[in-house]
Amino acid sequence: MFFRRAGISHTRYQQERQLWPLPIDRLTVLAVLAFLIAAPFILDRLYIVSYLLPLIIWSSAALGLNLLMGGAGQIHLGYGAVIGIGAYTAVHMMRAGIPFELAMIGGGLAAGAIGIVFGASALRIKGLYLAMATLAMQYIVDFVIVQFPAISGGSQASLQVPPVSFLGFPIQGDRTPYYVALFICAMITLFMLNVRRTSFGRALVAIREKDYAASIIGVDPFRYKLLAFWVSSFVGGLMGAVLATCYYRAISPDQFHLDLSIQLVAMVIVGGLGSVLGVFFGVSLILFAPILLNQTIALVADTTGLTLPMDLRAHLPLMLYGGLIMGFLLLEPLGLAKIYSNIRNYFLVWPFRHSRQ
Amino acid sequence: MTAPSHPSGWPVTDTGIPATLVAALARNAAESGRTTAFREREYGIWREWTWAQVLDEVLAIAAGFEAIGLSPGQALTVVGDNRAAIYFAMLAANALRAFPVPVFPDVPSGEFDTYMRFGTPDMALAEDQEQVDKLLELRERIGRPSTIVYDDPRGLSQYTQPGLIALSEVAEKGRARLNADEALRAALIARARPEDIAVILYSSGTTGLPKGIPLRHRNVVGGMANAEKGGYFRQGDVLFAYLPNAWVGDFVFTLCAGTLLRGSINIPERQETALHDLREVAPTFYLAAPRAWDAMLTRIQVGIADSTPLKRRLFNYFIPRAIDLERRRLRGEPVSLKDRLLHALGNVLVYAPLKDYLGLSRAERAFTGGEAMGEDTFLFFRALGIRLKQFYGQTETCALTAAQVEGAVQINTVGRAMPGVEVDIADNGEIMIRSASVFEGYADNDKATAEALTPDGWLHTGDAGYLEDDGDLVVLGRVSELVETAAGERFIPTFIENRLKFSAYIRNVAVLGAGRADLAAIVCIDDTAVGYWAEQKSISYSSYAELSQLPQVQDLVEREIARVNDLQPDHLKIRRFVNLHKDFDADDGEVTRTRKLRRKVIETNYAPLVEALYDGSTAVTFDATITYEDGRKGSLRRDLTVREVQPWT
Repeated sequence: MFFRRAGISHTRYQQERQLWPLPIDRLTVLAVLAFLIAAPFILDRLYIVSYLLPLIIWSSAALGLNLLMGGAGQIHLGYGAVIGIGAYTAVHMMRAGIPFELAMIGGGLAAGAIGIVFGASALRIKGLYLAMATLAMQYIVDFVIVQFPAISGGSQASLQVPPVSFLGFPIQGDRTPYYVALFICAMITLFMLNVRRTSFGRALVAIREKDYAASIIGVDPFRYKLLAFWVSSFVGGLMGAVLATCYYRAISPDQFHLDLSIQLVAMVIVGGLGSVLGVFFGVSLILFAPILLNQTIALVADTTGLTLPMDLRAHLPLMLYGGLIMGFLLLEPLGLAKIYSNIRNYFLVWPFRHSRQ
Repeated sequence: MTAPSHPSGWPVTDTGIPATLVAALARNAAESGRTTAFREREYGIWREWTWAQVLDEVLAIAAGFEAIGLSPGQALTVVGDNRAAIYFAMLAANALRAFPVPVFPDVPSGEFDTYMRFGTPDMALAEDQEQVDKLLELRERIGRPSTIVYDDPRGLSQYTQPGLIALSEVAEKGRARLNADEALRAALIARARPEDIAVILYSSGTTGLPKGIPLRHRNVVGGMANAEKGGYFRQGDVLFAYLPNAWVGDFVFTLCAGTLLRGSINIPERQETALHDLREVAPTFYLAAPRAWDAMLTRIQVGIADSTPLKRRLFNYFIPRAIDLERRRLRGEPVSLKDRLLHALGNVLVYAPLKDYLGLSRAERAFTGGEAMGEDTFLFFRALGIRLKQFYGQTETCALTAAQVEGAVQINTVGRAMPGVEVDIADNGEIMIRSASVFEGYADNDKATAEALTPDGWLHTGDAGYLEDDGDLVVLGRVSELVETAAGERFIPTFIENRLKFSAYIRNVAVLGAGRADLAAIVCIDDTAVGYWAEQKSISYSSYAELSQLPQVQDLVEREIARVNDLQPDHLKIRRFVNLHKDFDADDGEVTRTRKLRRKVIETNYAPLVEALYDGSTAVTFDATITYEDGRKGSLRRDLTVREVQPWT
């Protein structure tokens, strides 16, 4: 109904492979981008700081995990620790006077270096065993951070991020951190959209489908599995630095525990493995569904005069939240991205039927 | 007579426009050399030529043709699908004062010499290996053509036969000549004269041997100027070149319109991808035979029948209303605000997506012609907002005679004569035409020429018709097609057949009844639509023949006939019909290559059937003779059921 495909023709194969071949898709992307750029001027501060900023940051981090899980098919239960490594490295570097831009990359490199060591276990083991190995990484990194005061500054301490600037803009107040995060998110999103069209991206897909089949067609699993872990960990570490600087402003070990790793995995799976757009959907659902459900139940209870016992009122949103995730995955095991693509296809061939696979 | 000439050397008409196709090409190259002229889809992407590149290519091919012996006044037989290189070669022949004679690509080699009778055609241009094989076979039989130029070299590298040369090689020779002789380029541009033959096309041969119809440059240039004046063509149209290039519709409406009016000519990758490629092109001018529009409608109907309930309901809600609205608009009745709003909503929900799906969202000028179009199909596409119009014309008039005018479209007429075209009705009801686009006589056939053309230039069209008070021309059918039943009721079978063919389930039908008490029909079902219908009803079948004889399918066809009978006067209703075990086929001679019925052949071929239709029997056994594609003949025995048509309730 909204999609127009007549008159789209290509004179070069490169044109045919562009990210958004339909004019309406390009328009949508531009509109979303324009909204995000204008948001600090049209939305209340509260919405920026407590909704949009976390959405952007967690989406960028989840994109890194998505490359590994959705792109290369390697499960990772220690991604929270990877982010933690990046955050601590970057904060220490910034405290030593190194500018944010370099500290950010330093955080990424450190996370990449440690991530690749644990990723190496993926060369020998798969599936549940790999999940155990990465889980071990989570606990080891947690332990090391807490036990070495030189890193954490003591078990109960939190490390303050010194005042820094990004490309000459001091990161303070509400708007600059938001724009810095938005800029980095845009870069990572573009990278992830394009990586699927490169030989690297195709090699990852080959490994995801079957690693020994990939090696038969000439894709070296050793190289590409390590590369996948490295790139994903680098993005995680980078986002750890951004998270610390733009959002938390002070970091402590409990921010990077197992529950963060689990949450990130949930975001990626609910969103749809391998889909860039799905990551944003998944992060939105995991972040905002509890808040929305809480408010809805409170509103319903208040308007209908229904008196709920206190603990039911506290737990009902969580139960619904769990039910929601299960419901979505039952409806469409391939995640929110697949639900979106079904809806899109429904309109794409309007008024004819779209054959669903 | 020497024609006036442009400062740059090409011949122009009195009004200053280029007087030949080659001159128009040179004008385009000089004035809009960087504009895209041709686009051809190749391996999924569009290859483009600007006018300057086209001119270079055409001149190179022309110089090459001259080098290998194409001389003025000689014919170049052209056979193959639509290809940019083939269009270039046709223009190149014109530059040498020779002329192309396009032949339908599905003509078997046994019939091919019919199309090689004029202009001593010793050189042929073939698209690919298939056509080369055909021409080689022909050469063994009749000794011609001695030179065969081919476009697509695939599969031809091992051919050692003499006189076989690639078009690229011809162009290479030509380029060498052009480089060596600087004056040659200008000479080639100026050589063609307005009185030269631009192309020889063949009449459909409904009655006997096809006649050669030479169209001269001044015919097409004059006709196109008339059509442009009438607003039927515009400068810079986006054209879609998918029609067989041996049909006047392709030569005039694609090559001539593109060249003379600087349109861009878009060529699909293959015939099979034409529908898909049409959507990529989204032409602004689109011409299709009524049959093609019908097929498009069938495609939509089948798609909607298979669609989800909501979409289907929307379609079924909006389309009848849009058709009704269009009918009222054509009658000139006022349209209420409510209707307008509903139409706008329908446009968003149904019409615009459908137009986009067909690739006709930009088609401001959509035409149909060649034969009469079913009212329902016509209204359907107009209701979608495609300004579909009927045109009327013969190959003899470059097909540019009359067309409907937007704002005064009447369903039963073919519109008004184009500016510069005179129309008159002879005493016997025959339509007579005089215009710049009327040809000057059949090739090597003075007898036929004398029959068709009066000394002062009027053309006997052979069509029966009359002029309405507002100048609209109504075409009833061929003068020769008017037939009478035994009771003396006059009717034109084609008219009834076209109504029947609007049904998605009927692909072809022959209505009988001349000299008989009442009407009967031989029906060829549309196996795609009926097959799909049978699939939905879980009816199994193994072949076209079996499908056609299933009682359920006969019921289906009977309902369709009864529906048409409702619109017929009582004494002209179809009483009995039989479903044929196969479709009418050009290879069996039952239809022409442009798919017009050859009634005599059908009545002879199916004489036992015709008898059974009128002697009251309920079944008939029929020995069918089948001509296979390679020319062998076979025989099949079929039991066919004859049905009475019950009134439709």
